[in-house]
Amino acid sequence: MDLSAVPSGVLVGLLTLQLSVAIHVVFVTITLGVSFITALYRTLAVRRSDPFAEALARRSSKILIVSELFSGVWGTIITVVLAGFFPGLVALSTNLLFTPIAIAVASILIRIPSIAIFWYTWGRIRPGIHVLIGWVMVLSGFGVPLGFRALFSEITHPHAIGPYLDGGLSSGYVGLLTAYSSPLFWTLYLHTVLATISVGGFVVASLETLVKNVRGVFIGVSFGLIFLVAQLLAGPLYWYTLHHYSPYVYQSVTLGSFMPLFAIKIILVVILLIVSAYTWVRTSKLNTIPRLTWSLGPIAVAIVLLGEILNDSSRYPYMVVTGEAGISPVAFSNFYMEIPLPVIYIVLGFLVISIVVFSVAAYYALVKRFIQEIPEEIGV
Amino acid sequence: MKGYPFNIGGGGSVSDLSPLLYLSALGVYLHALFVSLTLGLPLVILSLLLQYARTNNPVYLSGVKKVTAVLAVNFALGAITGTLVEFGLIQVWPGTILVIASFALTPLALELIAFSMEIVLLILFIVTLGRIKALYSIIIISLYWAFALFSGVLITAVNSWQMAPWGTGGIAQALYPFMPAYGPLYADAAKLVALKIVLLASGSPLQEVLQMPEASSEIGIILTDPMIAFSNPYALVSIVHNLTAAIIIGSGVALAAWGYRYYKTGDRRYLQLIKAFAIPLFILILIQPTVSGHYMGTMVVQYNPTKFALIEGAEKTFHNPLIAFLAYGDPNHPIIGFDQFYAQCDSMKDVALKDLASSLGLSKDYILGLSNKLGISIDPKKLDQVLDTSVADVCRSDLDAALSRMSLVHYSYFTKIAFGIVAFMSAIAIMPILYDAPVLTRLTRRILRISNGDSERRWIFILASLILLGAVMSSALGWLVREVGRKPWTVYGLVYPSEVVSASPIAHQTSFVLITAFIVLAVNLAGLFALYIVATREFKFLDLLKKGLGVGG
Repeated sequence: MDLSAVPSGVLVGLLTLQLSVAIHVVFVTITLGVSFITALYRTLAVRRSDPFAEALARRSSKILIVSELFSGVWGTIITVVLAGFFPGLVALSTNLLFTPIAIAVASILIRIPSIAIFWYTWGRIRPGIHVLIGWVMVLSGFGVPLGFRALFSEITHPHAIGPYLDGGLSSGYVGLLTAYSSPLFWTLYLHTVLATISVGGFVVASLETLVKNVRGVFIGVSFGLIFLVAQLLAGPLYWYTLHHYSPYVYQSVTLGSFMPLFAIKIILVVILLIVSAYTWVRTSKLNTIPRLTWSLGPIAVAIVLLGEILNDSSRYPYMVVTGEAGISPVAFSNFYMEIPLPVIYIVLGFLVISIVVFSVAAYYALVKRFIQEIPEEIGV
Repeated sequence: MKGYPFNIGGGGSVSDLSPLLYLSALGVYLHALFVSLTLGLPLVILSLLLQYARTNNPVYLSGVKKVTAVLAVNFALGAITGTLVEFGLIQVWPGTILVIASFALTPLALELIAFSMEIVLLILFIVTLGRIKALYSIIIISLYWAFALFSGVLITAVNSWQMAPWGTGGIAQALYPFMPAYGPLYADAAKLVALKIVLLASGSPLQEVLQMPEASSEIGIILTDPMIAFSNPYALVSIVHNLTAAIIIGSGVALAAWGYRYYKTGDRRYLQLIKAFAIPLFILILIQPTVSGHYMGTMVVQYNPTKFALIEGAEKTFHNPLIAFLAYGDPNHPIIGFDQFYAQCDSMKDVALKDLASSLGLSKDYILGLSNKLGISIDPKKLDQVLDTSVADVCRSDLDAALSRMSLVHYSYFTKIAFGIVAFMSAIAIMPILYDAPVLTRLTRRILRISNGDSERRWIFILASLILLGAVMSSALGWLVREVGRKPWTVYGLVYPSEVVSASPIAHQTSFVLITAFIVLAVNLAGLFALYIVATREFKFLDLLKKGLGVGG
């Protein structure tokens, strides 16, 4: 990969964007998957009056309350980086991909407060209504990638925006749902949804090892494993559609400069399969938790991180890939002023500090269990 | 190219955009509500924590925990309404991307620091509250508050640039002679004017230019000082004025809520909680409308002449020594009305847009060449028509558009002042009831006929509610005056809403506006109800959870 293919200012923008997208996708993958398991077990708890399911749902929802806002802030960072460094791309997508963005924004509007409401109203409102809030939280969560993955799909294979980029549409108007007729979108979305639930399961399994709850680990690893196996179909399907619709990205990942990362990802998937299958057998048959169980969540997260970097950076040196070639990020870049790079470096420095502070908070909340499962009665 | 119904002058066809403007206003207002709590509740938390550290009285810690739970849900609502406003800008008004990528880029980039640090510090505060020493919690919430205020500073700086586009020098003045120069010229006037003429002649919104690959490199540098938004004197005053108002509202909510609980229960612990933050709140209520309000007014007089005339109902120039003294520092100065603005417009009747263009070195061929490079087709006849337009006509047309909002701005402003007085007087009345002051307490009690505990509780509740009502109404109306008074421009004197609106037909469909408004209202009303539940309702359904965790129940 030739890093000198674009000017250094644009490269800073691309790297900042890649960093933000990767961190954002890691966190949202965790919270989407965990929220599905949380809502499901909260439902089972209420329907069956099952105390175990109730406790599991409450413990896993701690991950959501700790992580969701932090994952959201990276979404904001992506938007500002895009508008600041690549205003042309933002102007283009907010016109041609109006519907997917509107779906994503509406979903965010519902998703974030529903998580806070779900946590803070637990025990304060009737359980049936609380369960309903839980499912609103889940469905709105999957609405976010339903919107934003269309953007990723379009810059990998311009299905809706293609005619405009080819000069066939002077105003750039495309149909309301044209982006959703892209074959690449649906394989990417399926790949994303299955990944979220699989990762959510593995993260729950890792955290349940902290409380040494064998049944909790079993449930987490079952979700992780089942959806990981499903990924063994969805992943290659996405890969195949890339081969068909975005040959540049396919080549770059399969035989090009991103092949080593792709190979590492495949190796990690194999390791995850082995460790999770072993954990599943041990927890189901022998009622014990293997020592390596804690690593399931981190391995799954690492796979997501690598997958997202592969997904995005493999377009380099293009920002929009059009088959065998593409459009350079320079075409969408900000030349309206000299971007003050020292300001960008200061921002990046503080973002690193924010990651450190968040890690401390998450450690005390989840590992040291500073956040109690039983909400505290407050006297005033 | 679609035929957008753009006019020269009069703010474009603003009436066609009304639903989108109302939708944006809804998002901004809801965001302002939650931001007020975000900025005001830390004052309450910090004051209570300081009291807790000093006295070790658990009541204060309980109060902190309650307010923190409300703050957490509120923060989520603030974050999503912020997202709504952000996407509202880039999706419904995507022409603003040009501003975001230039004049507003540095503040918005720095805002990422504020926003990310705000979130992680709030999470850290929630996680560690009651688990670490009060002093550490005080440090964490102070840092959180500092970054929350920093966020407010940066966003207000961007909003203030829309009010007084600092760094654009005399560009607006060239079209509107009654306007001042907005600082030194750090913008490329020729490029901005050429771009504006291309838009006017093509009937395209700015988005159709910005979305073209290579558009940015074709247009090139339009701003030479990326820090210009921070040099704006309008921003400095707005920051102090707006942030203090937000803090008053946010802490006013806690005051009214605990005032109500005290009234209903007679439990003096609520009074203890109120007293912990009443003094700083009182000081802010005294300073905000008087000191920062005065300077805010002088900024409007100086930089938004049409807004000031709208506020004062000055269709015609008149004399009023008191207003003149407050506004200009000279009781003999006339309150300049629209009649004088029109007269100044008419002084430009012999000047056409082509004269302004040529004074900047812009020829018809250059403009046609630029439009070709940007892939925007222009009919040369339409371009001639635009270039031949009289500056006086543009100027008068925009004044007509501004003047049509006079009643709304004028009455809103004076209603705002009335509510401000209500809050101010209520604050003056409540303090001698809360704290013993030698003569004042006796006098206040006599005036309000407070003879026993019941009447004291009732008056504390009434006055606390009036403080909140007065603060909320004056702030809401203040924003209305600030935003509507800026019209017909999105950026004062420079950009119309019709130029920055979305090129997508979907954005202009009634169904889009209605569905979006429904979702926004539903989510926010549900969120407000959740805030109420968190603040008031006890835990009734925890038996299953306690059983599952093995703690009985």
